[in-house]
Amino acid sequence: MADLNTEEGMTRRSFLRATTAATAGAAALTSALAPLQKLDDFPSVDEFIQKHYTELSPEQLSAVLKRIENEVQKQYGIRPHVRALKPMNGVEYVYALNLSRCCGCRKCVHACVAENNQSRSPEIQYIRVLKMPNDGTFDLERGDHNYNPESVPVPGHFFMPIQCHHCKNPPCVKVCPVKATWQEPDGITVIDYNWCIGCRYCEAACPYFARRFNFTEPSIPKDKINPNMSYLGNRPRHKGVMEKCHFCVQRTREGRYPACLEACPTGSRKFGNVLDPESEVSYILKNKRVMVLKEELGTLPRFFYYFDI
Amino acid sequence: MSENSKSTWIFGILTCVFTCLTIYFVRSPKLFPHEYKEPIVPPSHLAGIPSGTIRISAAQLVKSGADVSGLDCYSCHDPKHPPVIKLDKEGQVILPKEHIDLIYSMRNCDECHSADKGYKIQYNPDGSTIIPKAHQDLTKMAHGKTFKNNNCYNCHNENQLNTLHSSVGTKLTFDQATQLCAGCHGTIYEDWLAGAHGRTEGYWDHSKGPARKQECASCHDPHAPAFTGIIPMPGPHLLHPEDAPKAVHP
Repeated sequence: MADLNTEEGMTRRSFLRATTAATAGAAALTSALAPLQKLDDFPSVDEFIQKHYTELSPEQLSAVLKRIENEVQKQYGIRPHVRALKPMNGVEYVYALNLSRCCGCRKCVHACVAENNQSRSPEIQYIRVLKMPNDGTFDLERGDHNYNPESVPVPGHFFMPIQCHHCKNPPCVKVCPVKATWQEPDGITVIDYNWCIGCRYCEAACPYFARRFNFTEPSIPKDKINPNMSYLGNRPRHKGVMEKCHFCVQRTREGRYPACLEACPTGSRKFGNVLDPESEVSYILKNKRVMVLKEELGTLPRFFYYFDI
Repeated sequence: MSENSKSTWIFGILTCVFTCLTIYFVRSPKLFPHEYKEPIVPPSHLAGIPSGTIRISAAQLVKSGADVSGLDCYSCHDPKHPPVIKLDKEGQVILPKEHIDLIYSMRNCDECHSADKGYKIQYNPDGSTIIPKAHQDLTKMAHGKTFKNNNCYNCHNENQLNTLHSSVGTKLTFDQATQLCAGCHGTIYEDWLAGAHGRTEGYWDHSKGPARKQECASCHDPHAPAFTGIIPMPGPHLLHPEDAPKAVHP
């Protein structure tokens, strides 16, 4: 029997064998790469090489904001106004929530969803309202997220909304491996959605269950888009990034109240500049019985609960 | 009298005294209040009445020691021809339909319709009282947890009902109602002035724009200021809804 791989060259048999193997290999490679054909959400080159928010020059920042406006217009058919409002000097935000008056109606939750362009399906909510037994406990394990009575308030219970506490000593910022979340000088803990790698360390570190992850591509009806957007705030997010309450940065940094506050029918929510001694939050901190949640953790929240009845 | 019969007398008298005292205390209504039964009101009459009004029966009112001096039946009824009290089979007083709210919320016709003012009460052909349209919502009166503040003239001017007067007699218009509320609810008024009570909208930074505050009566019904229940909005989307089909391991 003659040697198949003689120096004389390729035999018919070896040619057929090599061709078959090459064809099969090419077919396997093609089918393995086939899903890439369906990918259409590659980041643009500009997005891919974009710097961290805090390192952007003013020209780069305006180019980034322009690019985001174009992206939103392409996706939702509405031209938004995306801004990057800077913190004001001499301002530190504080939130105060009156546990005596909150009735648990969840209007704040849905005002927040509408204001901040959160995904509607699956719906992402920054605020969670806990129904707590009114027997002197603050054991959060006994709280109920999913209450659904015919009317609220419910006798024998009080309601405790929880959202990002914007801690002065934030565990979520400490654990972020890429510095995609940080604390601004006015006390708001923000996220650069373009820098987040979606590792969810911050979600695990937060003791207040304030952070939400986009497990799927967010879906927002086109007619529900809020066009008043900000880079660190309510611009639409992508799949695979974290988001959370940012004290409605697009409103508060132009001097307005957050959306949840304006929606509250009982006036339980108060917001303002704690460095201003005339502000309503300063009045509350001076005159009311105030507490913070999980004080023992040393997170120093800027979100205070108070009682006045 | 021998020593023996003297002590028999003394013991006898003491026994009588103690027996009388015992009987007195046993019968004393303070220690042993008698069972009372509420006047019977057919449930159908109560069906249409708003639940905002706190109700108490006349019997409960008397038993609680409340002030019933203002509850004057004869401000409407003619004392010379008192109304015939109807009793049911069990001997309970049957309250007529038009009295259910009047008695239960301790409101008197005389408060507004004293004899000298000349408002006549009118009757339907079947004998029941015609309650004028302006009075239909009086049943909603529930200002506070007692009945003391359910009287019209605590706030309204007696001679001009579309004006108000404060507790010290200052005449106020409806637009100035917040000043009237402040007369009793001073601490809450201070909170409201500081922005710590009530709804606000607009700007926290007053250099950029105004913070719009609501007046008391914008949120609270002055006749029944306590909030009634509202329907809560939907809760969080459940990752594993309770009504979802349970996955069964093959």
